Amino acid sequence: MIVSWNWLLEYLRLEMPVDALTEKLALSGLNHESTEDVGGDLAIDLEVTSNRPDCLNHLGIAREIGVLFELPVRYPDPRPAAGKNAKSVTSLASVENLEPDLCSHFTARVITGATVKESPWWLRKRLETLGVRPISNVVDITNYVLFECGQPLHAYDLGKLAGRKLVVRRGIENEKLQAINGKTYSMTPNMLVIADADKPVGLAGVMGGLETEISASTRDILIESARFDPISVRTTSRALGLFSPSSHRFERPMDPEKTDWASRRCAELILELAGGTLAEGVIELGGNLPKRAPITLRLSQISRILGIEIPESEVREILHRLGLKSHGSPVEGQSTWTSPSWRSDLEREIDLIEEVARVHGYHHIPEDRPVPMSVASRTPRERVESGVRDTLTGAGLFEAVTFSLIAENLSKPIPGDLAPSVAPIRIEHSSRKKETTLRPSLVPSLLEARAYNQAHGSPDVNLFEIAHVYLPRPDRELPDEPVRLAAVVGGDWRQAKGLAEALASRFHLSGKLTTRTNANQPWQVLAGEAQAVLELSGKPWGIFGNVATDTLKDIDLRLPCAALELDLSLLIELAVLEPQYRRIPDQPAVTRDLSLVVSDRILWSQIAEAASHSAGPWLESIEFLDDFKGGNLASDERSVHFGMSFRNPTRTLSGEEADQAVAEVVRSASQNLGARLRQ
Amino acid sequence: MSSADSSAPSALDDLERLLIDGKAAFESAADADALEKARVTFLGLKQGRIKTAQEVLKTLPGPDRKAYGQRFNAVKTALEEACELARLRIESGQASQAVASIDLTVPGAAPRFGRRHPLTQTAEELIDIFGRMGFSLARGPEIEDTFHNFVALNIPEHHPAREPLDNFYVTPGTLLRSQTSTVQIRVMKKCQPPVRVVALGRVYRPDAVDATHSFMFHQIEGLYVDRNVTMANLKSTLRQFAKSYLGQDVTVRFRPSFFPFTEPSVEVDMQWDASGRWVEMGGAGMVDPNVLKAVGFDPEIYSGFAFGLGIERLCMRRHGIDDIRPFYQNDYRFLNQF
Repeated sequence: MIVSWNWLLEYLRLEMPVDALTEKLALSGLNHESTEDVGGDLAIDLEVTSNRPDCLNHLGIAREIGVLFELPVRYPDPRPAAGKNAKSVTSLASVENLEPDLCSHFTARVITGATVKESPWWLRKRLETLGVRPISNVVDITNYVLFECGQPLHAYDLGKLAGRKLVVRRGIENEKLQAINGKTYSMTPNMLVIADADKPVGLAGVMGGLETEISASTRDILIESARFDPISVRTTSRALGLFSPSSHRFERPMDPEKTDWASRRCAELILELAGGTLAEGVIELGGNLPKRAPITLRLSQISRILGIEIPESEVREILHRLGLKSHGSPVEGQSTWTSPSWRSDLEREIDLIEEVARVHGYHHIPEDRPVPMSVASRTPRERVESGVRDTLTGAGLFEAVTFSLIAENLSKPIPGDLAPSVAPIRIEHSSRKKETTLRPSLVPSLLEARAYNQAHGSPDVNLFEIAHVYLPRPDRELPDEPVRLAAVVGGDWRQAKGLAEALASRFHLSGKLTTRTNANQPWQVLAGEAQAVLELSGKPWGIFGNVATDTLKDIDLRLPCAALELDLSLLIELAVLEPQYRRIPDQPAVTRDLSLVVSDRILWSQIAEAASHSAGPWLESIEFLDDFKGGNLASDERSVHFGMSFRNPTRTLSGEEADQAVAEVVRSASQNLGARLRQ
Repeated sequence: MSSADSSAPSALDDLERLLIDGKAAFESAADADALEKARVTFLGLKQGRIKTAQEVLKTLPGPDRKAYGQRFNAVKTALEEACELARLRIESGQASQAVASIDLTVPGAAPRFGRRHPLTQTAEELIDIFGRMGFSLARGPEIEDTFHNFVALNIPEHHPAREPLDNFYVTPGTLLRSQTSTVQIRVMKKCQPPVRVVALGRVYRPDAVDATHSFMFHQIEGLYVDRNVTMANLKSTLRQFAKSYLGQDVTVRFRPSFFPFTEPSVEVDMQWDASGRWVEMGGAGMVDPNVLKAVGFDPEIYSGFAFGLGIERLCMRRHGIDDIRPFYQNDYRFLNQF
């Protein structure tokens, strides 16, 4: 809201410097945006919060200044006189209101024989300070009154109104109106229009029509001042993308006592600046003032909420200055108040407490009243997330933050247990044309971030992200939002899987980690032959693999990479955050390496399992070392090289005992897996 | 007199012996340690032989004192030069030896490490500070129903804040949350006062993306509800937070504002540097009685405060970042700076 300094001087004496004024306003709720010198006047831009529509005009700001600086405010009291022998307004025009729910008050005054011409200098100047283009005296006056008291007005060329009549009604489908901005709009029954006997002549509260607007030839003027339903005005304004100073104010609660005041003020100024004769009387439909319920204020509540005591006399003084009326004297710190017509936001005790605090000044509230001590501990989730970040950044990965919304072609749910087979959630919003889907997996976003880096000179950046994914639930209104960890790294799947293993180890779950093939339900982001599912304690944990060639091509990635996506909540559930001490063994271990040749259909996990079942009681660990194909092996064979460590906790194990255990492993593997010892 | 006659030449002889011994010691010093030992022996300020020789000066009669003094100065200078020469000899010898065998000035083999995203770093710091002040971390869903995002937050049907244009609706009854205040409601519905939590997470508003706006950003929101919680507690809590975060004393200023879910509502400014500039930190207020009622707390018994801070804004200010977009581009050259 831009206010003119000179204009404010109409209502009160401002003796302070403008900076002192705007500072005080800012600290009392009207944030100061800027002050600009506009040819001898000051245009002061103030931010008005949505609860204070009463400050969207000069009188309102003047009233606020009066409250804050304890200055008297001079309010104009328009009493335009009907001309001698003037006709009655009802003989010159008529108004019909078919929608009293959407238009609770409508007034019309008529002035005949006016002269439309340029406004006097002072009026043009006032509007120019606000950035409003002067048009003609009558139009300028309607704008002037709007910015003076906040009540939007419209002036019609009465001679152009068919039937010299206005009808407040809903629009008819496909009815057209050319507004004063020159554009033509299509009406719908959801829109409230002002029509004459034939056709719409204005969009109620939003904008008037071009055809019946005031022109140089206008002689007879109908002044409309009305109150429209805020929701109706907002709906119409949004539906048409048409916003005006008028709709801005009608969308908010209005001062019901200003409707007729503004009409009188407008008539008075037209008579003064454009001449003519005011018809006798006013056409007025509706206009019952809403009843204001009394508000009880307890003094004790002020200190209970604010933490400071404010003397009762000051509280009463502030509320009176704000225009509230008290009912009788306070009894035991309790008083009863009625808020003024322009402050429909003041309905409850807490509203009055805020007003008192605001005017009294928040600087009185001390900043050395700490809250009592209390303990808070970190949740398992915080501890696990932090540990994951430590581990992965330590491993050279950078943490990324990518958008939850992605393009539909990148929205790839992970099949199987990590996502239900339901289509991802779409968001329809005009502001996001491309990213329309709430992502069901994180990896594609990280691949995009990797591609962004590739395009900016860093083709091999390893990234991870911890974030939620969004999985619809047909049985519930709100979707599931499991928290996931994803990583994208250069190289092949072993790098990706290794990260999961590192995390399992970090949180003491190595023994519970297993790999399961998902050949029957592959994830299309990853290469069909190089992906698998990870499980922790037999529960699905995540997926890893090489990124598919097609995916690389789609995202325009040149270097091969691998990806991992894990359900973080399972890790949070199983993580051992307080590992228990195990005594460090004082007996030495005996280690043995061996290479077994097996069919290439036999998996390492099978070999490891066979070995652990057959190696006897002193087997401590099995470690995969490497594997090998080719050489003198048959084409469907491979050699697997692994190490075993044996230990007896109570005595030193002999080499012979370890050799015996290895022999048993070889025997069992050959029997169960068709393995032979590589020579 | 005779004693004086005999003592002067002997004192001068001592000086000459000192010069010869000292030069020999410095010239024969093979390394820095030996040199240092020699320096202490001859030139040491407390126990060095030069110091002893200087003390002799005071015992001599006038005429002898002059001759001794002149010679003393010459010897002292000669020894200092010998020491300096030996130092240069030893250092240059070491350097040439090093070049010949191993160049230790080449960079070491540093391990590769990544970094936490700057937004995470800021968020973790905030959670840590508020944690020390007794606020536990709470979370809630990002897709919310209109009850939690609006109704319970005192934003009734037809309120402009509910406009489809200003929100990402998923269905008519659900949307991407526009503020983390939704978590307040979920927490308060689950437990009884005292409630002391911070909620942190992603929020969404359909703003056009530019240097200062993003359609997705992060908020941290604090809530404290108990008996006798006042606005003075709010101001003090924010001041303590700021002192911890900024590492220096801070003054807090409230400016009236409007949020549907708090009343009184304020914008929070803070001032800490000598320039006296007030910096906007976020919004805050006393929990609106309607919000307390919506979760079943009696506003006659309980009161509370809430505040919200933008993570991006705090992070940008801390690191001098002037554009919000790099946070979500994840350019290595950006991530590697923090």
